[in-house]
Amino acid sequence: MSVPIPMVRPNDRPRDPDRCACGSGLRHARCCGLDLDEWPPAAQAEHLPPLVERAIQALRAGGGEAAETLCVAVLELAPTSLDALRLLYQIRKTGGLRQASEALIRRVVALAPNDVGAALELGLLLMDTGRLAEAEIHARNSVRLAPDIAQAHNLLAMVLTEAHKPQFGEHHYRMALRLSGTRDPILLANLAWNLKNQGRMAEARQLYEESAALSPDVPQTLLGWARLEEADRNFEAAARVLDRAETRFPSDARFKLTRAVLLGRQHRYEEALAVLATIASRNGESGLAAHELLEKGALLDRIGRPDEAFAAFEAGKRQGREIGGNRYYAQEAELLIGRLKAFFTAGRLSILPRARVLAEAPQPIFILGFPRSGTTLVEQILSAHPRIAAGDELPIIGEITATLPRLFESPLSYPDALAELWMADHADGLDELRDYYLRKVRQLGVMQKVGASRFTDKMPLNETHLGLIALLFPEAPLIHVIRHPLDVVLSTFSHDLTHGFFCAYELETVARHYLLVMDLVEHYRREMTLRYLPVRYETIIDDQEASVRRMLAFIGESFDQNCLNFHENHRYARTASYAQVAEKLYDRSRFRYRRYLRHLEPVVPMLRPIIERLGYTVDEVP
Amino acid sequence: MSEPARLRSSAPAVEVKLPLTQVLKIAQEYVNSGRIQDAQELLRAAIRAAPRDPEALHQAGIVAFQKGELEHAAELIELAIAVRPDASLYLRNICSIYERLGRYDEAVAAGARAVQLDPLDSNAMHNLSVVHQRLLRLDEALGYARRAITLDPASASPHLALAELLLLRGEMAEGLAEYEWRFRVPEARRHLPDIDRPQWDGAPLPEGSLLLIADQGFGDVLQFLRYLPWVAERCPRLVLACGPELRRLVEHNYPDLPVFDRWDARPSFAAFCPLSGLPRLHATRLATIPAKIPYIAAEPIKASAWSARLQTMLPHGYRRVGIVWSGREHPPNRSISLASLAPIAALEDICLVSLQMARAQDEVAGYFGCAPLLALGHEIADFTDTAAILANLDLVVTIDTAVAHLAGAMGKPAWIMLPYSPDWRWLLEREDSPWYPTARLFRQPAPGQWEPVVACIATALSAGQAMRAT
Repeated sequence: MSVPIPMVRPNDRPRDPDRCACGSGLRHARCCGLDLDEWPPAAQAEHLPPLVERAIQALRAGGGEAAETLCVAVLELAPTSLDALRLLYQIRKTGGLRQASEALIRRVVALAPNDVGAALELGLLLMDTGRLAEAEIHARNSVRLAPDIAQAHNLLAMVLTEAHKPQFGEHHYRMALRLSGTRDPILLANLAWNLKNQGRMAEARQLYEESAALSPDVPQTLLGWARLEEADRNFEAAARVLDRAETRFPSDARFKLTRAVLLGRQHRYEEALAVLATIASRNGESGLAAHELLEKGALLDRIGRPDEAFAAFEAGKRQGREIGGNRYYAQEAELLIGRLKAFFTAGRLSILPRARVLAEAPQPIFILGFPRSGTTLVEQILSAHPRIAAGDELPIIGEITATLPRLFESPLSYPDALAELWMADHADGLDELRDYYLRKVRQLGVMQKVGASRFTDKMPLNETHLGLIALLFPEAPLIHVIRHPLDVVLSTFSHDLTHGFFCAYELETVARHYLLVMDLVEHYRREMTLRYLPVRYETIIDDQEASVRRMLAFIGESFDQNCLNFHENHRYARTASYAQVAEKLYDRSRFRYRRYLRHLEPVVPMLRPIIERLGYTVDEVP
Repeated sequence: MSEPARLRSSAPAVEVKLPLTQVLKIAQEYVNSGRIQDAQELLRAAIRAAPRDPEALHQAGIVAFQKGELEHAAELIELAIAVRPDASLYLRNICSIYERLGRYDEAVAAGARAVQLDPLDSNAMHNLSVVHQRLLRLDEALGYARRAITLDPASASPHLALAELLLLRGEMAEGLAEYEWRFRVPEARRHLPDIDRPQWDGAPLPEGSLLLIADQGFGDVLQFLRYLPWVAERCPRLVLACGPELRRLVEHNYPDLPVFDRWDARPSFAAFCPLSGLPRLHATRLATIPAKIPYIAAEPIKASAWSARLQTMLPHGYRRVGIVWSGREHPPNRSISLASLAPIAALEDICLVSLQMARAQDEVAGYFGCAPLLALGHEIADFTDTAAILANLDLVVTIDTAVAHLAGAMGKPAWIMLPYSPDWRWLLEREDSPWYPTARLFRQPAPGQWEPVVACIATALSAGQAMRAT
């Protein structure tokens, strides 16, 4: 999915109604309203380059305003002037106007598709705003354009690492290192972070040590290192790195946040809150940033102050909306889900082919569920079994939905492009998609675990594509993790997540997306035979052994004691739940909503029917 | 009735005034020509104009009943009765509506009052008989049925009611004789096509061919297929007419029997007989029910294909329990919901395989029980699939529907959930069935009470009770 993000950034200058809403300073007709077909790149008046040159000089001399005025003037006359666009982009980027920067750099990329620099800038910007799928397109393009430039590989590696494909990311970091010809400390630190995400903690630590020795004053490096140690439950080492960083960068809030997280993991909640308070007092009126607020909320929750915790979550999410410009893409979500329902019907499914099952290939187990339902826990339990490897959040099903039309040479998009399966030359299309999926699994190194013949894919919200999954893997076990809807909504709201069309930024939109997806799952279950097992998070807490036995029997594996001691499973889970699954089962998260019921009131009525359908009730704190 | 009703035609500005009696006549004509919706709208207008007119209320109640709006029908007729408490017609009709709603006490009271007011009303007697049958007050039910027949000997419904009561008590001779009225009740006329050949009388028919008609429901057909060898001894040349859903299963099990599923494709024949007529011709008594089980088997190729599929799709080492929870609307009181099987779904070490067909299979979408559930309704093309799946299950838990008969005919363990007042073939009180040695019957202890039935089954399942196949 790629969704355009309109940024809402208060412009510090008085608004001119003619000016483009993106904040570029150009007129709308010369900016986002521009028709590039009418203004080919060549259509530039010859007398303009000197003006751009003057602007560059003005900027160098510190005359930002003058440079800006000159750029706007040039672009008024020749809106496709690349030099002026690049310069204005620099100015807007420096000024922190993200929406304007994005609009400008996108125009440069559109006008000059071979400009590696612009592709890199755009890719980075998209990655920073969480739009990884689109970022990957531009990062790949920069590697295509300049396979010999280390930065191109570095960007692609960063995007792939964030997009749950760290194995591919590693490949490109190593390429970048080779091309740079040096042990570049930044690249080393980036690679270390990548390896940490693959759970290769010792290798990562070694690289951080090397990087910090070469260049001791890079805050990102120290930050990543501290977080590696924290994730590896090496709390003292993490504290040492933070001590070192804070003597060098005493005002850097990122270290304080990491310190707070570290203290929280050591159950030193009051101290953690005190650290966050120092950030807040230093920032004055602006207080804490979104991440810091969410962490504060989590800490307050742990010490039993739900009202304050909820206020912190709300403030964090408000910042995410107002400053990050994040909002739920309701229309897009409804459109897709509507189209899925219209396509996947019993009548059509009875005549659609299914991919053949490859007995010799590794067999997937799909762990489905809304974010924060307990999918990480289930994966951690199952992957403690000697025959089951952990695939983690595999992004492959999502990728298939995006590339399917191209693979099938279809003028339609997913899911309607599956209609190409009727054509003689695509009749085996599902086998092709199955192979695509299995090839990516192989490349991602999922099956490295010796003795494993199955692997898990726990991409949250994969249930949106349950129909497609069942066509590709008609015999794969589908384990749907169910949890009290109010707990799911509360927990999603209190975490920084982009899953589900960015629904996590408001309580109500989380609930709306939850309902849409659950309704879609019911649709699939009505329309087709599925090897589907609902598993309740609460039941796993209540009776772990029975749940584990049932899941393993359902999968077709014998019971294994290791699955009960899953917290000793030394696999590092990349997702937000990593700290939780490293603990033994605890029940403080079960029915947490009860203490927040007052704050959840706005979504209780809309969720009540599904709460009842799932067999839950809405209870006050006992 | 001179009070005019104000009627709104589709153009809202125009109002036509008609006398109420005429409006009611028009409404009745609408009903007779199947225009139920129009009739309902017209009657609504009539009631707006004359809110306490009992005829309008009663007629609207009947229309609501025909639309299946039972609660509303009862409310309307209650209003009519409030105005005219001695109208036996209203009382007789509300008796039947209460019966359908399971409000048996009210049904008995209304029916008794109707009979008291009009002791010669055969329909009222019949309705009262039906209510008593639902309550398993069989002596009273028989008494009213016989009185209804005395009052109107040519009316088929009381005869069929009598047949079912007698058969339920195991009084097969008279019961099967009365059962011959089944094609003459108004609702059943369409069950048989018009046939210009004589109905077979059970005597040997060595020359011409005998056309057997798979009448009634699928379950009845499966139950009475057991008579085929007996018929074949008397009539060597047999053909069977049956629905496409059963055709392939019958052909597999009776390879010498020509089967057709389109009436216009029938061959010529000398005589015909509905399958449901065979028990009478055979003079079946409880002790002489032909029960050479199994008389139906799954196709081996299909059975092994389903075996492989179920092996893949179901957890290993779990007992496989097929489930069916809903059937067609008639007979009433037999269907439940998937949700009401919750105590079974909560058990460990079993998995459920839904053989449910039609709309009710949608209920699997809301199943979140502990036992894994595999819903196969969409993959069942006809009864050969059902049979092949059953062949691979340990047990089927089902309401009184075709799957119960199929499992029984195959000699598979079938636990059958029965309403308090069951269909006649399940007889009374007993846990077993002379028709199907592998069936076990779980009966409602009181009308409408499914929970104890499901609880008994869950207990028996968790105790791991033997699920023996023949």
